[in-house]
Amino acid sequence: MGIQTLLEHINTPGYETLEGYRKYGGYTALEKALQMEPTALIDEVKASGLRGRGGAGFPTGMKWSFVPRNSGKPTYLLCNADESEPGTFKDRLLLERNPHALIEGMAIAAYALDCHLSYIYMRGEFGFLVEPINRALAEARAAGLLGPSVMGKDFALDIYLHLGQGAYICGEETSLIESLEGYRGYPRIKPPFPAVSGFLASPTVVNNVETLAALPWIINNGAAAYAAVGTEKSKGTKLFSASGHINKPGVYEVDLGYPLLDFINNECGGIPNGRKLKAVIPGGSSVPVLKAEECEGVLLDYESLAKAGTMLGSGGFIVFDDTVSMPEVLTVIADFYAHESCGQCTPCREGTGWAAKILHNLVGGKGRKSDLDLLLKIADNMEGKTICPLADADVMPIRSFVTKYRDEFEALCVS
Amino acid sequence: MPKFILNDQEVEAQPGQTIIQAAQDHGVEIPHYCYHADLPIDGNCRMCLVEVEKMPKLTPACTTVVSEGMVVRSANERVKTAVRGVLEFLLINHPVDCPVCDQAGECRLQDYYMVYGLHTSEIPQSLKVRKSKAVDLGPVMLDQERCVECSRCIRFFENVTKTGELQFFGRGDHVRIGTIGNQPLDNPYSGNVAEICPVGALTDHDFRFKARVWFLHSTDSVCGGCSTGCNMRIDHRDGTVFRLQARRNVEVNRSWLCDEGRYSFHELEKGERLLYPLVKNGNGAPAQATWDAAARSVDVRLKEIGANAILGLASPSATNEALFLFKQYLGEQLGATLLDFRTDSEDRRVTEEEDDVLRHRDKHPNTMGALKLNLASAELGGIDGAIRAAREGRARAGVIIYFKPLVRREGDVDAEAKIAELVRSLEYSVVLASHHADWQQQASVVLPVAAWSEEDGSYTNYQGRVQLAAKATEPGGDILPLWEVFAMLLHVSGAESRWMTPDDVFATMAERVEAFQGIQLEQRRWPGALATA
Repeated sequence: MGIQTLLEHINTPGYETLEGYRKYGGYTALEKALQMEPTALIDEVKASGLRGRGGAGFPTGMKWSFVPRNSGKPTYLLCNADESEPGTFKDRLLLERNPHALIEGMAIAAYALDCHLSYIYMRGEFGFLVEPINRALAEARAAGLLGPSVMGKDFALDIYLHLGQGAYICGEETSLIESLEGYRGYPRIKPPFPAVSGFLASPTVVNNVETLAALPWIINNGAAAYAAVGTEKSKGTKLFSASGHINKPGVYEVDLGYPLLDFINNECGGIPNGRKLKAVIPGGSSVPVLKAEECEGVLLDYESLAKAGTMLGSGGFIVFDDTVSMPEVLTVIADFYAHESCGQCTPCREGTGWAAKILHNLVGGKGRKSDLDLLLKIADNMEGKTICPLADADVMPIRSFVTKYRDEFEALCVS
Repeated sequence: MPKFILNDQEVEAQPGQTIIQAAQDHGVEIPHYCYHADLPIDGNCRMCLVEVEKMPKLTPACTTVVSEGMVVRSANERVKTAVRGVLEFLLINHPVDCPVCDQAGECRLQDYYMVYGLHTSEIPQSLKVRKSKAVDLGPVMLDQERCVECSRCIRFFENVTKTGELQFFGRGDHVRIGTIGNQPLDNPYSGNVAEICPVGALTDHDFRFKARVWFLHSTDSVCGGCSTGCNMRIDHRDGTVFRLQARRNVEVNRSWLCDEGRYSFHELEKGERLLYPLVKNGNGAPAQATWDAAARSVDVRLKEIGANAILGLASPSATNEALFLFKQYLGEQLGATLLDFRTDSEDRRVTEEEDDVLRHRDKHPNTMGALKLNLASAELGGIDGAIRAAREGRARAGVIIYFKPLVRREGDVDAEAKIAELVRSLEYSVVLASHHADWQQQASVVLPVAAWSEEDGSYTNYQGRVQLAAKATEPGGDILPLWEVFAMLLHVSGAESRWMTPDDVFATMAERVEAFQGIQLEQRRWPGALATA
């Protein structure tokens, strides 16, 4: 399984407290970072090859370098803790068990970005984490790790927790910003990109929980050590939230480039009751499904999964055995996107709902074979025609399920 | 000025223009719902997707700024397929109730369906999303099922009036617009949202079910409701005005009208019209007369009384042309000097803003025109001075023009009561008015004149902008436009009077009145020509 940059002490009692975190070297990375030049820090993160762990996989250091240095406006760092992609629950574990790694990572990023006010935007359904996160923030503040002079240095930073109202769309960075500003969570038209004009029309960086929490290890151990793990283009480790028909569901930290089938058979303990693997969704419900035979030789990294026609996404790794009805799975997924479409752009607003209804009709025994082509047409008409990628997130499962398991869908049709 | 290729033709764009705007300037209509020239860009409807070379995805023409050398295709198969797809999405949950929808005939769903769609619906009725029908929001009716969620109405209240009455509720295909608790709109600019709604979701309560729009004729006009001079279109049929809609003029009203102006034509429907000249006979009873007889009797009587004892009270609701001839007749021809038009403090209020959207405090369309014609006499001092002059016997005769303001407010000076008092105080009075009023029985002569919408003429707005208001409807009876009455009086009085149209009058005015000098007839049409100070 390789090095555990995030999960090493995850089951250690008391690790979520400042004291527990410090016992294992907590906040030494921040101390080190505060002695570096911010630009050197950005270079270090670039060299580590760390890519955004929320789903898009954009190189983190490069994202930071887009922020203009002399805009005359404050720079904001926002932590995207709106984890809501079906099949994804890795940020939740970090928030619950390793909050100080996130806070330390945010402080490092903020220092690199010359940011003095930062927010954690957390999904509404994580209400039970409000108190523990606020407690961790209070601990950090009391210990001088946040506040007017971080670790006694001439660097001020405060971090606040903001709870969303429970909308998947607010995980999209521009709607997260809209929501944080107090507006309806609608994605914004880009450009301008948040790096130039984001929160309060100021330069803004939005990073995922896992991305930020990875920073302390990188600073402590050096970019080279992190980059030595993984493949040439997918460096470091990645958390996978494994669920479905496996013996050991849970969150796993895996070296990027790890073989997909080995992950199922070794880490996840294989498929229960000796049943056969039918399909895998490797990166959360929005990525194309892989049939069992397509998983052969596929590695868990950005490039290998892309070559296999799917994506690493958020690492929401869902395994299906041969008892599963793929039309039923797709109906559940389609319902999710229909429910979570913000309603702003026509193709997504109408298309996600229409597709879900067709699927319900179909699994309800009222489908026609022509509905399958209609679903594919709806997918075509949605794809790439909206402000944000939510419609595309519906298109990918629809298209891959219907084309790869067409027989199963047709078998349900009555005419 | 960036040059770009639009559908294989090289064209030029203004710096900073988006594709949709530049295309419009070159006569290429790119379909859209949410884009509106006077609202912030939202980019939500996805109807204006176009192909731009080197961009992998289709891009919205409303959000993409033209750059030098850009190659844009707005009508190839790829674009048409995308537009057809969006249109199909918009129609799946639409009730397709065109036969009972007031928007029919000017609905973009209908129009684009004829161009891009013509497909058969693939969704059964039972799967359609149900939303509320006919939600009464006061000035407008909301049919949520017909809505395309383009947010024009929301953006109007958000950005123009900055009041935010309408909002989105819900998400996904259950998203709908509305007010909190379906409260009625209480906003003096509400009518605009019905006008800018590209479909039948918001319809105008006042116009609902009155007429099919394809039976209506449109005439370009200017609002008579206040000194702003908003450009509008009069939609009418068989002599009846059905509705007023905004005509875009970025120098004056952009694309908006206030509700008072929008519905001001109903004021003219109230009360009885004067149809024939009435001249008091020897017994003091009003008798119907021909125009010729009436004009001659007026001219003779005024000359008998003599210029020094004549006052003239014009109206800031009369056209420039009428005011000019009023002055020509009473001032130049008869030599009267006590000429004014003020019934209140119009000269001061004309430039006073009532809000920061459109409205001005002076509820007359042509106060500035009257001022440019020097019709505010310090010697007379408005209507109060006129009443004093009559009571004191300094003035024995008066020629009085009175139009009821189309927009009135609680607490306004009761100009009509003062006019009545003036008429009572004069020995000989000639009243020119459009509508009957009891006090007119006191007048020696009552002459019926055309009301707003019934004559061609120009108004000068608060900025000094001379704008043409065209005649939309034919007045009944023997009614004449005001300018023509004074042209006739000049004629019977022996002066030169060769004007055949208000345009002829304006041409003379542009020669003789300094403020209007150099203004060409065509310039008044749109966006209007500024008179000099």
